[in-house]
Amino acid sequence: MNSQSSDKPFIFNEKIDIQCINDLYGDDYVYIEEVFGTVLTEYKMLAENITSSYTSQNIPALKSAVHKIKPIFGFVGLTIIQQQCQDFEDLCQGASSFDLLANDFNELNDNLIKSKSLIEEEKRKLELFNRQHA
Amino acid sequence: MNLSCIIVEDLQVAANYLRKCCERSGSVEVKGHFINVHDALSFLNENSVDLIFLDVEMPGANGFELLDQIAFSPKVILTTSKKDYAYNAFQYNVSDYLMKPFTYQRFLESLQKIQPSNETISTNNGSDHIYIKADGKLIRLNNDSILYIESMGDYVKFVTHDNKKYITHNTIKNLEEKVNKQDFLKVHRSYIVNLHKIDDMRENMLFIKGNEIPVSKANKADVFKRLNII
Repeated sequence: MNSQSSDKPFIFNEKIDIQCINDLYGDDYVYIEEVFGTVLTEYKMLAENITSSYTSQNIPALKSAVHKIKPIFGFVGLTIIQQQCQDFEDLCQGASSFDLLANDFNELNDNLIKSKSLIEEEKRKLELFNRQHA
Repeated sequence: MNLSCIIVEDLQVAANYLRKCCERSGSVEVKGHFINVHDALSFLNENSVDLIFLDVEMPGANGFELLDQIAFSPKVILTTSKKDYAYNAFQYNVSDYLMKPFTYQRFLESLQKIQPSNETISTNNGSDHIYIKADGKLIRLNNDSILYIESMGDYVKFVTHDNKKYITHNTIKNLEEKVNKQDFLKVHRSYIVNLHKIDDMRENMLFIKGNEIPVSKANKADVFKRLNII
C-alpha cells in the first residue's frame, strides 16, 4: 500500500495474479509478506472447519466454511482458487445429497492444500527478498 | 480525522487491510476491531461512532443482527465476499457494499458515498411543519399530516394522513435530528413515526392507520417512555 522503493521487483509465482497484488498493495513487499503470514495463520483454522463439516456431512456448514476461507485467497492473488470456492458454494446451494459433492470436494480440497503450499513458498521468498532489500 | 469507525470482521487479514486503508485515508479513525457481533454491540452500547465497516457472515449472530440492536444510526459499509445481500442492504440503509478484497481506490469511493446529504429539509426542531424537496418543488408538510417516515436506501418516504407518499433524498439519521422531537420518534433504523398517530402496539409492531411499523429492540424502551401509558 505504501510505496517501497526497490531496485528489482519481486517475482511472484505465475499462479498468483500479479495485477491483483499490485492493485491491493502496490510494491509494499514488507506488507505483502505480512499479509501472506496472516493468511497462513488463518488458513489453518478455516481449513479445519471445512474438514470437520465435510466429515459430519453437514452441507450448510460446509458451504459456510468454504465461504469463509474464500476471501483469504483473494488477499494473496490466488483468484482462481477463490473462484473455485465460489463455484463449490454454488454447488452446495443446490445439492440434494451429500454424495453428489464428493468429487468436487476432493478436487477443491486438493487445490486448497496446493494453495497453502504455494503461499508458504511465496512467504519464504518474500522474507528473503525483504531481508535483502532492508 | 473527521469520521470515527469500528470494524466488525472475523477475518484478521481483512480487518488489518481495512485498518490500513483507514489510516492511509487520514480521514477515518478506527475506534476498535471486533470479531463478532456480541463484542461490537458491547462497545456500541457505551460508545458512538459515525461509521461501521461490517462483515455479514460471522460466527454467532450475523452483521444485520447488530444493526437491529443498536440504538443509533451510524453509516454502514458492508464488507463481504457474497453478492446476495442487496435486498438486506437496501432494507438496512447500507451506504455501500465492498467485496473482499477491494482496492484502496474502491475504499475511497465508498467513503465518498457517505458524505452527509444536504438535499432535504428546511425546519427547526420546535416547528409544527417541515418543507421537503420533492417532485421538483418545496412542499410544506404539517407535522400533524405526517403518519411516518420510512427509509428507502438513500431516499426517505413521507406517508401522510391522506395516504399521499412523498419521496425525497435524505436519510433517517439526518431526519431524526431535524424533525420536531415532541411529535416524532425513531422506532427502528428505517422508521420515524408521528407519536400522535399511533393506533396500537402489539409486541414489536406499531400500527398507524393500517400500516405496520416494526419497532427495534433497541428503540422499544424509548417508545414505551414516550407513549402515554396509564
